[in-house]
Amino acid sequence: MSLERKFSADKKQLTVVADDIFDFGKVQDFRIAFSTDIDEVETVIIDLHKTAYMDSSALGMLLNMQKLLSGQVTIFKIINTRPQVLKILQIARFDKKFLIS
Amino acid sequence: MRILIVDDDPLNRFLLVHMLEQKGYVDCYEAQSGGDALCLAKQIDPELILLDVMMEDMSGFEVAPLLKAQAGDIYLPIIFITALDDEESLSRCLDVGGDDFVAKPFNKTILAAKISAHARTRELSKKTFLQNQQLIFYRNAVEREHKIVEHIFSNAVTNDHKLLPYLDFKLLPATDFNGDLLLFCAAPDGGLYYLIGDFTGHGLAAAIGALPVSQAFHTMASKGLSVLEMAHTLNDTLLKLLPADMFFAAAIVQVNSGGTQLEIWNSGMPDLLLLDSKGKVIQRLSSQHMALGILDASEMDRDTQRCQTVIGDRLLAFSDGLIEIMDVEHNMLSEKQIEKWIAQRSNITVDELFQRIGDFSQGVAPLDDLTCVSYTCQSLIKLEHSQSIAPVPFELRFEMSVETIRKGEPVQSVINMVCSQIGMYALHARLFTVVSELYNNALDHGLLKLDSKLKHSSDGFEAYFALRALRLMQLKDAQITLSVTYTPNERLLKIMVCDSGEGFDHQSYSIQTEIGDPFGRGVQLVTELSDSVRYLGSGNVVEVIFNV
Repeated sequence: MSLERKFSADKKQLTVVADDIFDFGKVQDFRIAFSTDIDEVETVIIDLHKTAYMDSSALGMLLNMQKLLSGQVTIFKIINTRPQVLKILQIARFDKKFLIS
Repeated sequence: MRILIVDDDPLNRFLLVHMLEQKGYVDCYEAQSGGDALCLAKQIDPELILLDVMMEDMSGFEVAPLLKAQAGDIYLPIIFITALDDEESLSRCLDVGGDDFVAKPFNKTILAAKISAHARTRELSKKTFLQNQQLIFYRNAVEREHKIVEHIFSNAVTNDHKLLPYLDFKLLPATDFNGDLLLFCAAPDGGLYYLIGDFTGHGLAAAIGALPVSQAFHTMASKGLSVLEMAHTLNDTLLKLLPADMFFAAAIVQVNSGGTQLEIWNSGMPDLLLLDSKGKVIQRLSSQHMALGILDASEMDRDTQRCQTVIGDRLLAFSDGLIEIMDVEHNMLSEKQIEKWIAQRSNITVDELFQRIGDFSQGVAPLDDLTCVSYTCQSLIKLEHSQSIAPVPFELRFEMSVETIRKGEPVQSVINMVCSQIGMYALHARLFTVVSELYNNALDHGLLKLDSKLKHSSDGFEAYFALRALRLMQLKDAQITLSVTYTPNERLLKIMVCDSGEGFDHQSYSIQTEIGDPFGRGVQLVTELSDSVRYLGSGNVVEVIFNV
């Protein structure tokens, strides 16, 4: 099942909502979420409000996405993290690469 | 109409009966003394009594009150037929309980008119009596229903007693049923949640929403959901459930196990006050959202407020009933006054606040429900340890063949099984991450012999997963064994993952990964999220321990 995507009115901001389990099984979905209609996107927001579980392959996917888009996207945000997921992002020091809230 | 004629003179009785028959009253009975009258009245239950005053055994003045008492609740007209015509006697007729008098010798027309007038009054009285009975019946039925609902409420809207030492609160409903709601629940991984809310209006209609809210809150809290998720779910539930003119203002607070990190969702409640230990307001957490049960899911915002506090800080929340309290001159209490009280006495308890409110209102009854809750920031570590835990040791063993491995995602099933044990749910998120890492390492590196360095470039990332899929297809004669052992005495949960591969040099995975590298973070996560990690065998077995 593809991930939910939301564009701002000016198409400059893309929000991708991750599923409850964000792990290796989501590789394809995650890639597809960033493969179309992103020419004008300048801000990427990953919304983790649904996400209860996350593992290191999810971290890898996030970094890989950032690497791919770093030419055009200037702001990467991770929002609505639950405490358990926030802990994983903190252990991995993701605050250095993403704006986490 | 049943008429009882009481007279010791047979001639008088005959005249009366005769006259009544002429007027169509054929259901007449005669008593020749006061005593007879009382007996007969008991049997025939008369609807009107014509009573002589002067009788031998008992005078009419004595009999009248006794007859009235016997008659019960429905109006029984007593008309005195009397030869006495002095003012005193006539007024005495009415004083002793009579309703009217007719002088002897009686005028037929006047007597008949009086009888029919009193008959009308009796009909009215009958109607009132019936309606009264119906009212009593309905009131009893409603009371009984309220009792039932109250019972259900008190059982459904329950809170975790373990949390009582951490929260200071008071609820004062304006009616039997509270439209205000205060819920609290321990979080599965330490910390706690609480919710203070206020349904539109008060009484039963307002309280009815408390049931679904309470149940959803406890379910979500025990799963460790975020306040945001809770707010959205409650909104969806109430939107479906409540009529359009009803909604639920609520603030949801989550406190971490350290006791000082607060996450707050405020939809439509008065400002929550964050106070320092001296009673000074550090921050006002104003409502950022519409009350729950109004907006569609798509219209709901997703912002919560986070506060990093220090031990001794205090978060005070109250319903609007509190600030809208009036004194005798209709002045409202206001938030300012509450802040003043706290400034005067920084450690003021909720009880003391309510006392001050009582002094302020000077006995004017509050119009709305009043609720106030105060949380003083303190370590919640003890709370974490007081959670009950499975008393029986257990061991779960999962042997996964190539076929099972190909089907994918076995980790979630394993975690679900482990976390269904009492007290294990607190570990669920950590367990998932750690077991996923161990399982993926066993599969990717142990069995499929993939090299993480492939992931170094973004193309490589794709290539890695393509190669993984290919090798998984080709995999033969392999197995991953996962065992979970729990020993309650030591409160240890041991996870072992063993693969049938040749093992791998785990040392190379523990070197510090560059921040930007899209790989190599797994071992770091496992180390940080568990309490100990050990590699055994040739590196094909890994043992991880959690202190539960």
